[in-house]
Amino acid sequence: MVSPTPSYKSTLQRAMSRGQLLTRPAQLVPYEADGLGYKRYPVELVAIPADVEELQSLLKVLKETNAPFVIRGAGTSLSGGPVAAQGGIIIHLSKLRKIEEINPRDRFALVQSGVVLNELEAALEPHGLYYPPDPSSGLSCTLGGNVATNAGGIHCFRYGVTGNYILGLEAILLDGSIVQFGGPAGGRGDWREDWKRLFVGSEGTLGVFTRFWLRLIARPEKVWTFRAMYPDINSASEAIRQLARHPSYPAAIEFMDPRSIDMVENSPMSVGLPRNAYMILTEIDGPPELVDARVGPIAQLLRNCGSDDVSYSDQANQRQALWKARKAQGGLLGQVSPDFVVQDAVIPKSRLNEILNFIYEKADAAGIAVTTIMHAGDGNLHPDFLFDQNKPGELEKVEQIGKELMKKVSEIGGTLSGEHGIGNDKAAYMASHLGPLGQAIQMAIPRPFNTRSQLNPMKVFPERRYA
Amino acid sequence: MSGATIEALELKSQMDDPLRACVHCGLCLEVCPTYKLTGEEGNSPRGRLHLWRSIDEKRLPEDDDTDFYTSECVGCLACESVCPANVPYAHLLEKERLRQYERGRSKTDWKVRLAGRAVKQPSLFNLALTPARLLRRSNLLPHPMLFPGKPPVMESSAAYAKRLMAQKQPDGPTVALLTGCLMEALFREINFATIRVLIENNVRVLIPDSQGCCGAFHEHTGMPGTDKLFENNRTAFRGINVDRVVTNSAGCGLALSKALQNKPKVQDIFGFLGELGPKQRPRQEGTQKVYVDLPCHLVHGQKVEGIPPNVLNATGYDWELAPCAKDCCGSGGVYNIQKPENAREILKRKSDFLNHLPSGVQPILATANHVCMMQWHTARAFIKSPFQVKHIIQLLDPAL
Ligand SMILES: Cc1cc2nc3c(=O)[nH]c(=O)nc-3n(C[C@H](O)[C@H](O)[C@H](O)COP(=O)(O)OP(=O)(O)OC[C@H]3O[C@@H](n4cnc5c(N)ncnc54)[C@H](O)[C@@H]3O)c2cc1C
Ligand code: SF4
Ligand code: SF4
Repeated sequence: MVSPTPSYKSTLQRAMSRGQLLTRPAQLVPYEADGLGYKRYPVELVAIPADVEELQSLLKVLKETNAPFVIRGAGTSLSGGPVAAQGGIIIHLSKLRKIEEINPRDRFALVQSGVVLNELEAALEPHGLYYPPDPSSGLSCTLGGNVATNAGGIHCFRYGVTGNYILGLEAILLDGSIVQFGGPAGGRGDWREDWKRLFVGSEGTLGVFTRFWLRLIARPEKVWTFRAMYPDINSASEAIRQLARHPSYPAAIEFMDPRSIDMVENSPMSVGLPRNAYMILTEIDGPPELVDARVGPIAQLLRNCGSDDVSYSDQANQRQALWKARKAQGGLLGQVSPDFVVQDAVIPKSRLNEILNFIYEKADAAGIAVTTIMHAGDGNLHPDFLFDQNKPGELEKVEQIGKELMKKVSEIGGTLSGEHGIGNDKAAYMASHLGPLGQAIQMAIPRPFNTRSQLNPMKVFPERRYA
Repeated sequence: MSGATIEALELKSQMDDPLRACVHCGLCLEVCPTYKLTGEEGNSPRGRLHLWRSIDEKRLPEDDDTDFYTSECVGCLACESVCPANVPYAHLLEKERLRQYERGRSKTDWKVRLAGRAVKQPSLFNLALTPARLLRRSNLLPHPMLFPGKPPVMESSAAYAKRLMAQKQPDGPTVALLTGCLMEALFREINFATIRVLIENNVRVLIPDSQGCCGAFHEHTGMPGTDKLFENNRTAFRGINVDRVVTNSAGCGLALSKALQNKPKVQDIFGFLGELGPKQRPRQEGTQKVYVDLPCHLVHGQKVEGIPPNVLNATGYDWELAPCAKDCCGSGGVYNIQKPENAREILKRKSDFLNHLPSGVQPILATANHVCMMQWHTARAFIKSPFQVKHIIQLLDPAL
């Protein structure tokens, strides 16, 4: 652990006149963890700047403090991202929540990085505008966190992830200077390279985002939701394959395994789904004439792949009912288990069967319960391993399975994280996944922005320690 | 597929180990009025739960700061509504407040403590507030929270119900009405309106004499005594044969439903009227418009969807839900007395829409809880144009 300079608190105080500095134990303890509540890292100080200007003056003096620092949005990360892995300071951007402009004419919004996704969504709705990336944490996650992790969501199969909607971004670098990459018109702005692409997904290790210009599109006029149940994994996989290449280009293709379905059906959220079945949910959207004409063919496709249980609707409440089991799944994890880990691998879709069996085999052998869902269109697999940290050895077993799974995912050409980021939770897998050359290059490129790893150390690459 | 571990996925009860039920997802942050106000994690539901758990696990000493964060909670329970893990937040908050009180760590104001003791004796409380009713009736009791009204001074709600029943002889379903402490002592006109509406809709209204304070006040403040109050109401309401117990205050309704545990079933007056299909009031032509606010303890506490549209249509007014109707107004029982600055700021944000109404609209802010009405009435300090605060039952009142 690095020791901050003895006078660092007064240094920070100098820079902050309107915001808050939290220094006492009860003020700091709530910042020990992110969405992975069971992993805790003590924090020495938390700063909540009142606005962008104060954030900038804070960053200008941070170098003098000799303390590592971490940016936090809403702290919903599931990968140990906004936590003080090496101690030090957390800068919480909960006050940077202004939607500065919604421009229907040029279809962009200018927002501060602490704006909450759902709040943006609510502000866009009256304009008939749509910002598609929709992580399930939308109730509270911030745009800053979304951009930093390049968040995805259920509708990203068709619409793409956060990065596809960033026209421009403004960030404060470690020396306090403000840079803008791209802008309301998108593109590179005044730079030779399209640097914003480097910054999207940088997990708070390159600079502190302050503002984004977001690309907006028209709201889909009509949506149809389909749910199909399959008796075996092969027929479900075939449905995924055929949906993914269907000309209607579904907005979403989601998969749920029988163990997840069991969990839902054992709960008060039960919807009467058959047991031992695999569920596929899909959505098509667009102008009514176009999507209505596609309903029949999609239902037929789902049946042809082997389902004799296909339901669909274009009515809001019935669509909600079709989604119910899938939406309940995440919350129920917390009700069946004191702790759980959500993995976030991306696999080639054709390997689903193999990976699923691998997961079941490992988990069953270790006596660890697991449920699996997948953003199937993108091959983004979320096995959720349930455990109790108070039971000796359980966490270790889950970590061991995670390691083996990641190795397997790398072997079949997959990646470690589809949307949750690497944080420090998955950082340990990076070396073997990237190999020495890949790792050396990827650690070298961002170095000029974060020379001594003062900004969010030990994230993505565990070797990046502040010294 | 091997199903070796599937049997293990039985739901466990969140009450087994409620402090550890939170999975730290953070989905509750943005519905929390104090998090939105301060931007501090410790002032969020997840933060408070984390603090209580850390104290319990002896990783954090209890101190003025931990007390502070607990005391900052409005108790609106919006966090319960969004929590995917069903964390029993209300239960934990009450336990924590009670524990604080018992250990002498509660900073509850002496006036509030005094009131907490007084409401335990409803008849004395009612008697003591007779002059207040008289003054309020004559508009001589200026207080920022006292919305105007003409409470009957001497006749009790129970006597009135008896009198009106004898007169109108309804023969429909029978309900028992909880008349409440402050409601009966100071805002009795709302009970009277409730009785009129019920009887007009052919409902037989009983008011058990032995009923007492619902216990909500003590739950809010952590003052001990809830168990006794619950027991008293069990005796009072279980001794009579009724189809429902109805309440006209969302907060009291929540406490009473906890006490009675469905024996008999407690229901908010509007849910009950919604099922009956209430008599229609004449259409109100003109520029008045009703903005309906939903009390937290109705939607987040009692987990009721809202006020049934047929009830609101029956008022005869043009109505719409107030913006952010499910968000807290800052009242929180006695929160607006204990934390006036927070309460004011929460209300200021929530009520701002009244400053931006189309010109000519005469707004009526209508809700279903007298304590929320008191809080809304204080918005006059920052709302530029006049607005009225009403209980929805008053809009259905045949005596209107
Ligand atoms: C219930 C639940 C469901 C979820 N579902 C999804 C999902 O469907 N898809 C998905 O992609 N993710 C999902 N997540 C993960 C998480 O919500 C996302 O990663 C989200 O983008 C994080 O946003 P946040 O504001 O909470 O950021 P935080 O958790 O606070 O931070 C995440 C990372 O971003 C960095 N960061 C935050 N703000 C800034 C900034 N202004 N400048 C620089 N760096 C910054 C932090 O340092 C950290 O490394 C889910 C999480 C939960 C708890
Ligand atoms: S009860 Fe209301 S104020 Fe208290 S933590 Fe929950 S949301 Fe916040
Ligand atoms: S929503 Fe529920 S589980 Fe999630 S952090 Fe809040 S209290 Fe905990």
